[in-house]
Amino acid sequence: MSINAPAILPRLCIISSGTDQDGSGLLIRRQIRLLRPSLPCLLQIREKHLDGATLFRLSLAVKTEAAGRNASVSLNERADIAAAAALDGVHLRESSSPPDKLRSFTGNMIIGKSAHSLESALNAAQSGVDYLIFGPVFDTPSKRQYGAPLGSGTLRAVCRSVSIPVFAIGGITPENARLCLAEGAYGVAALSLFTDTGTLPELLKTFEKMLVS
Amino acid sequence: MIPSAPFLCYVTEESPSPVTLVREVLEGGASMIQLRHKSASGDQLYQWAIAVQALCREYNALFIVNDRLDIALAMNADGVHLGQEDLPAAAARKLLGPKKIMGISASTYEEALRAEKDGADYVGFGHIFETSSKEKHCRPLGPESIAAVKTAVGIPIVAIGGINRNNAALTITSGASGIAVIAAISRAPEPEREARELVNLLQHRQ
Repeated sequence: MSINAPAILPRLCIISSGTDQDGSGLLIRRQIRLLRPSLPCLLQIREKHLDGATLFRLSLAVKTEAAGRNASVSLNERADIAAAAALDGVHLRESSSPPDKLRSFTGNMIIGKSAHSLESALNAAQSGVDYLIFGPVFDTPSKRQYGAPLGSGTLRAVCRSVSIPVFAIGGITPENARLCLAEGAYGVAALSLFTDTGTLPELLKTFEKMLVS
Repeated sequence: MIPSAPFLCYVTEESPSPVTLVREVLEGGASMIQLRHKSASGDQLYQWAIAVQALCREYNALFIVNDRLDIALAMNADGVHLGQEDLPAAAARKLLGPKKIMGISASTYEEALRAEKDGADYVGFGHIFETSSKEKHCRPLGPESIAAVKTAVGIPIVAIGGINRNNAALTITSGASGIAVIAAISRAPEPEREARELVNLLQHRQ
């Protein structure tokens, strides 16, 4: 774990916007500087269009920025680059290679995985990952490629069926986040909700009240 | 681990089924297969990698994965091949350990030297001739560039880019230890025969 990374899995997951054209990390680093030390946060770098060399540099930069801010840093899909940059975790796509085969080189990194159906969530949980991100629960432009919203009922079914923490994703707001938690979600994850750094401080306050007891 | 005699490396094509030609190419005498597919999912690549590795073991050939070191490590490939835009060689070597093969693409003298310093086992050097397989924005380096790099780099040089029956032997006499080929084989009417012809040319070039 990096310096001052949370000892337990954070309940708020902020995913990078996917709009970092050159891998400079400008937006995600601005987001990191607005984090609250009292709210543990899981930051996921998800910039699928960037090449490996750029992702490696971005990972190192984000890790440096996040040090001492009660945040864990993970990278989407590329366990090799995450391990090379000594990040806290990797987040696998639904169609990733088998998670248990990655443990030989990921050490004590957190391995998470996305699931976009109940069946996929059950398979992912059995594959030995540490947590799931399940969705889209509600409608959101960035997740329409994964099909119609699955609804809070399916989220409830997933949370009841697996023993690992489940983050709800897709159209999350502070209001419906409470519903997700009531349905059994461990936490919530979002991209677009957090990209406006003007509203981010207030949002983080709201989530802290909800997620940190 | 890299073959000592001039050898043929087949790099799979960016197609929906890159594995289909592999057995034919191995039957034709290729010593190394590199699985390269930029758009496939991790799961798909992993499944292909397992299938190709099984074939490679049957034919006593080496199996390496392009770019995706995570896949190479997950299924215990013989090694990985990285481009200049991929995870940097020195960082990759730390994850890969000292025994696995690491190939690095280079298109300049400096990149080749750097690759050797960062722990590469071979340099994929090119493109040597005009090629249609990959988008290129610069002119071919020509076979004489192999000889120039050879004077400075101690690790084997694998020539890549536009290599076919007409120029394969020339790359070896210019100092290459092997050739890497995509289109010359995948677009040949008889890929197995093409591979065999290339291997013959490499080994009996006099």
